[in-house]
Amino acid sequence: MKKFRLYFEEHNRGPLTQLWLQFQRQHAAVFGLVLFSFFLLLTLFALILTPHDPYQQNSDLLLLAPSWSPEGLVQYPFGTDDLGRDLMSRLMKGATYTFGIALITVIGSLLMGLALGATAGMSKGVKSSIFNHVLDLALTIPSLLLAIIIVAVLGPGLWNTTWAIMLALLPQFVHGIRNAIQDTLRQDYVAAYRLDGASNWQVLRYAVLPNIWEHITVMATMALSTAILDIAALGFLGLGAQAPTSEWGAMIADALDLIYLAPWAIALPGILVFASVLSVNLVGDGLRTAMTKRRDN
Amino acid sequence: MMLHYFLRRAFLISFVFVALTVLAFSLSYLFPGEVLNNVSGLTTIEPEQRQALIQYYALDQSVLMQYLAYLNRILDGEWGLSFSSQQPVLAEIFAVFPATLELASYALILSFVLGIPLGLFAAVKADHFFGKLISGITLVAYSIPIFWWALLLIMLFSLTLGLLPTAGRINVLFDIPTSTGFMLPDILLSDISYKSEAIMDALRHLLLPAVVLATYPTTVMIRFTRDSMLMVLEQSYIKTARAKGLSRTQVLYHHGLRNALLPVIRQIGLQFSTLITLAMITEVIFSWPGLGQWLLDSIYQRNYPAIQGGLLVVSCLVIVVNMLTEILHTLFNPLARKV
Repeated sequence: MKKFRLYFEEHNRGPLTQLWLQFQRQHAAVFGLVLFSFFLLLTLFALILTPHDPYQQNSDLLLLAPSWSPEGLVQYPFGTDDLGRDLMSRLMKGATYTFGIALITVIGSLLMGLALGATAGMSKGVKSSIFNHVLDLALTIPSLLLAIIIVAVLGPGLWNTTWAIMLALLPQFVHGIRNAIQDTLRQDYVAAYRLDGASNWQVLRYAVLPNIWEHITVMATMALSTAILDIAALGFLGLGAQAPTSEWGAMIADALDLIYLAPWAIALPGILVFASVLSVNLVGDGLRTAMTKRRDN
Repeated sequence: MMLHYFLRRAFLISFVFVALTVLAFSLSYLFPGEVLNNVSGLTTIEPEQRQALIQYYALDQSVLMQYLAYLNRILDGEWGLSFSSQQPVLAEIFAVFPATLELASYALILSFVLGIPLGLFAAVKADHFFGKLISGITLVAYSIPIFWWALLLIMLFSLTLGLLPTAGRINVLFDIPTSTGFMLPDILLSDISYKSEAIMDALRHLLLPAVVLATYPTTVMIRFTRDSMLMVLEQSYIKTARAKGLSRTQVLYHHGLRNALLPVIRQIGLQFSTLITLAMITEVIFSWPGLGQWLLDSIYQRNYPAIQGGLLVVSCLVIVVNMLTEILHTLFNPLARKV
């Protein structure tokens, strides 16, 4: 590393590096990112990491207290549930369901939204107007009602409600992406690119998408927090994940009968849902702030 | 100008309503079970009745005619029977709907009263400790799963401290004659001797559900008011107003607030369907006898006509609120009128 610079050089960092520099200045956002990575790792490697089989019932150890109470065992840090299943393993496995499936839902919804939003953004006039109003209809149906209808048609289950959540998330993606695309299309560099003879697809691929993907990422984080909350809520209501599945919302519903005996069995899954949503929101807010700051600089 | 705008709105709304009824109509075919049962809501159909019913519901005709017949029945207020009680669905909806509206409107009012001043405060003191504190608390409250939050509050205030009741709208000992379906106005309108006790009891029942339900809209309100106020404060007309010699409060009130609250009005419409989802969950937890609990009971009982009716009512409510906020937004915002 040079100690001093003889000549004045202009130092230009790439937009991504600038974004990261702004992002890491916000401690809360970095904390959120760490938490987010923790949940991501848990989602991917829950099967290897769990100390016990999350579905193994042990009739000798029913409703064991957490290890910090005198009756607890250190092998079962959070105790066991009313069927003698290790709570910690179940919570870890639950990340795959609540957090992992929320991720899949958002990615699926994002891809659909990208396709529809791009079509809507690049089209004009009546076609785009009709499209908008069909979407408005979808926006008016609350996500829980959509889930109820889908459950009534297809029957309860985690994957069936996933469709409901995807559909519920879709309108905001399509609206957001459509607006972002139309804003970008008004820019001079797009006009210049068009004058160079670029086709619609080339404009979209090389001029529009690189400029809106950060915006899309922020939208995706907001959608992810909604998706996690929705999956947990549907599990809690018994419409989503069904009984033995250790989805966090369903676990809270299971433990509801034991609210006096084992309040920690309600508190712990809730804390995890809360922490995962918080991490996503922190990262999303951090990204948003970083983007505004980079633009201002 | 405005007339043109309203006509355009009316056209769009009718389009959305048609699409909604098509969706509700097609559900009779999508739901498991026989179409005739789903359409009529009868659980058992005698063979001799069958032909007459098929004729009545136009099931022997083309899909378009069936849809028109369905539309006719909807407009006549004949929404079929509920599978579980064999009572008309519409009457059941009318019985439970006010409870949901009451809960949702109190929560919404609470979120206005708390959210807008706090959001403004957080924007004006953005770099101050309190401004940051409000933003931080908002972010935390925004991330709490509502059912868990409700359970925590129940565990604390009802189970541990024994201060507040956990379920229902009012103690069953009170006999309140139903006139509007809204609990507080009902009590005030009735001529019972224990009015003040009943009001107190109803308020105690209302407190926890309203606070739980208000949490999310309040945080959204704070965030949006804060963001849009910060955006407005950067505009050059604020600087102009300051340069003219107006005081800080004058600038905030006359130039800031009006412009900052415009996007907030629009946000109410957009967040309303989320509010309804949350209201449904809150109702289940607090055994609040509203539309949400009724709909969830319907799904547990496979009560398809009820789900269909619920879809229509809830979506219509959301559409109407959406439309109202949009019209309000346009009335307050001269810029939006030109488009």
